Amino acid sequence: MSTSPDQGPTRRIALVTGAASGIGASVARALRSSGNSVIGLDLAASDTDHSIEGDVSDAGLVADSLAHAIDELGPIDIVVSVAGYYEMLPFSEISEAQWTRMLRVHLGGLVNVVRATLPGMLEREHGTIVAVSSELAIGGGDHDAHYVAAKGAILGFVRSLAVEVAKNGVRVNSVAPGPCDTPLLAPDSPWRDRAYLDTLPARRLVHPDEIAVAVQYLIDDGSFAVGEVVSVNSGAVI
Amino acid sequence: MNGAELDTDSLTLVTGATQGIGAAIARRFAADGARVAINDIAAGRAMDAMVREVAGVGAPADVSDRTQVAAMVKQLVEQCGPIGTLVCNAAYMTMSPLLEHADDDWWKIIDTNLTGTFHLVQEVLPSMRALGAGRIVIVSSYWGVIGWPDATAYAASKAGLVALVKTLGRELAPEGIIVNGIAPGVTSTPQLEVDAKAAGRSVADLETLYAEGIPLGRVAQPEEIAAGVAFLADRRMGAMVGTILQVNGGEVRGRV
Repeated sequence: MSTSPDQGPTRRIALVTGAASGIGASVARALRSSGNSVIGLDLAASDTDHSIEGDVSDAGLVADSLAHAIDELGPIDIVVSVAGYYEMLPFSEISEAQWTRMLRVHLGGLVNVVRATLPGMLEREHGTIVAVSSELAIGGGDHDAHYVAAKGAILGFVRSLAVEVAKNGVRVNSVAPGPCDTPLLAPDSPWRDRAYLDTLPARRLVHPDEIAVAVQYLIDDGSFAVGEVVSVNSGAVI
Repeated sequence: MNGAELDTDSLTLVTGATQGIGAAIARRFAADGARVAINDIAAGRAMDAMVREVAGVGAPADVSDRTQVAAMVKQLVEQCGPIGTLVCNAAYMTMSPLLEHADDDWWKIIDTNLTGTFHLVQEVLPSMRALGAGRIVIVSSYWGVIGWPDATAYAASKAGLVALVKTLGRELAPEGIIVNGIAPGVTSTPQLEVDAKAAGRSVADLETLYAEGIPLGRVAQPEEIAAGVAFLADRRMGAMVGTILQVNGGEVRGRV
């Protein structure tokens, strides 16, 4: 955490998308408990310092609501892009609308919040962005083509943006969670099946608070981590 | 800096801990509350100074020598209790073109970096099994990921460690012993002197040259690598298994 000589720890402003539940809620909680102010952007209301209800895929809404939040709270130093959803479908059954929605939310959502916050970070030569991808983006998975295409695109975007802005004081990284115990996995999801979990070296689902630990490392302690993808997946992909 | 939550009850053994990255790891772990054993190849003033600095315990041994490693671990466990965290950092490096790489040097590098880690993990494992948990962090190198001219044995040994991390991650995670690795990019340590000598340049000159190829525009400080090691040893994190954390300023992306 950055400190100023006479004020102690500086209160930073963080944006967390998908902050109402699951990984986003864990990240928001962790960031708040370490003294940051958190703006939550989610379809649902989030337990944050400034809750915005809206769709990350809506570029206009993201730009306007974040401009308003920045006016009110000050510049955003930290962006954690978590908003997303999961569905499994055989490739031949993925409709045009389902394909488009998947890309608009995951990749488009990330791009929309980066567009709204990066200029300020570059101007101040200070900021850090963490995008949540998925271990499926590394290993692939059947019935996951649209989800994996979107999550894989996030990795390419992160690595490229990271190289582009590192010298300007902005670090960009990613976390790739494995199957995680969040509402994203339906109660009857095959990823919750004991027989599947027994194939994992860690023998269990990832806990969302473990993703928050990785995100906090990248934000606070990973000063030489650039374009990195931190794999927190119970050993699903090694 | 955001403190990691480390195991502060059982002992942490850091090898190659009297200089460079190893010393930074020992300092970081001590600052986060761990009890640290300082290993290096020999006892002496450098070890005494580190032991005093981190209020730790000295543990001299050549990691390439099975007998020395076994004796060191036995003595530590008798003296300080079980070892719950192991950081395998000790390394040796020489550089020369392939045809000038002598057999002796090849084996000294492999025996220290790769076999030394094998010895350490085998000797420390009973301690971790008795605890029912453990954290092992193995220090590889980005040269083990991408290779490097004139560093044949060193890069091979560090690539061997990548496979060791992945295999031990799979093998030991079911019993709660979590193994991960870190692949540092160019870091400002005494090891750079070897590289500088081989290149016929000054260390400062070499750091500037390397910095040009690093998106962040500079080389790493040892403390930044130590921060990654502390993260991998954080007891709040049990779901990272067999991974290689690449801390390299963006120079190498997505190869392991």
